Amino acid sequence: MNRRDFLKRIIKSALALLGLSFLLSLIYIYPAKIKKKGMKLVHAFDEEELPRRGVKRVDFSYEYGNRTINTLAFIVMAKEGFIALSPVCSHLGCLVNWDRNKGEFLCPCHGGRYDMEGRVIGGPPPAPLTRLPLEIKEGKVFIGIKV
Amino acid sequence: MGKIFDWIDSRFGVKEPHRRFLQRPLPEKLNYSYCLGGAAFTLFLMSVVTGLLLSIYYVPSETEAYKSVIRINEEVRLGWLVRSTHKWSANLLIIFIILHTIRVFITGSYRPPRELNWIAGVFTFIFAMASGFTGYLLPWDQKAYWATVVGTSMAGTVPFIGNALLYFVRGGPEVNGTTLIRFYSMHVLWIPVMMFIILCAHFHMVKKQGISGGL
Repeated sequence: MNRRDFLKRIIKSALALLGLSFLLSLIYIYPAKIKKKGMKLVHAFDEEELPRRGVKRVDFSYEYGNRTINTLAFIVMAKEGFIALSPVCSHLGCLVNWDRNKGEFLCPCHGGRYDMEGRVIGGPPPAPLTRLPLEIKEGKVFIGIKV
Repeated sequence: MGKIFDWIDSRFGVKEPHRRFLQRPLPEKLNYSYCLGGAAFTLFLMSVVTGLLLSIYYVPSETEAYKSVIRINEEVRLGWLVRSTHKWSANLLIIFIILHTIRVFITGSYRPPRELNWIAGVFTFIFAMASGFTGYLLPWDQKAYWATVVGTSMAGTVPFIGNALLYFVRGGPEVNGTTLIRFYSMHVLWIPVMMFIILCAHFHMVKKQGISGGL
């Protein structure tokens, strides 16, 4: 091998190393720990606050680590009993609002529409609203949330 | 030029190539629409300068970001002016890039041998949009937060690699402090550096290939 080819090869390997380090930097940027989410039952409110009919928005908070996190859910008096719906739109994650006059959930971002039980009736959402576990124990209502 | 400049340039030697750059033949039918690219570059420079000023007071942290933005607006002398200038120059930058693109398209200036410069321009536009998207989160208010939730969720809808892509962009499953710092880093370091490189290439090609004669 002459000097010219040798230097060419050196430069090519240096470039290959550069490419490799670029891939390594992608690994570096990717989050190291992604916490597995578990279901946690949270005391949201008391039994007497359950809606007699229709939909009720409940705001509640829970402790996570050393922080208090505020969240909300919709409690629906459905045919089969009470269900708790997550307010997170299945399209791109905005929070939906309950429109009492129209009797449907509306997403403010892209106009997703859900009926009272969370089924899609219009707009872009690909799936219904997530149903959260709901338990009533000793007069207290617990809602399951992912933490 | 002045004595000091001549002293510097007799050693640095930038006058001669510079003169060649400025005194080059231009096509006859030039009009003000050929200034749109220059206007966009001016706006980019304004964003850079005001951005440098904002970075003196802005704190990229989950608990401090919003407060520091309020402080810039209400306490820092001329803070409102710097922040508004940053906002408006950034918005106008996008508009002027689009107008410049339309001019290049109408006059057919993308045709050979200038295809590569069109591609460089496309990258400039992508970087400008990325800068806008990452900068939008930094005030860390409700609008910023939800815009980022929605914007990054789109990455999650990519088939197969969607979730990994989402974690990559957000730094985790949710938009939180990690996302804020990521976006801050992109906004003030990564994108400006890439923008600088691509603009050097863009202007180099403009100089080498000359202004196109139009249709």
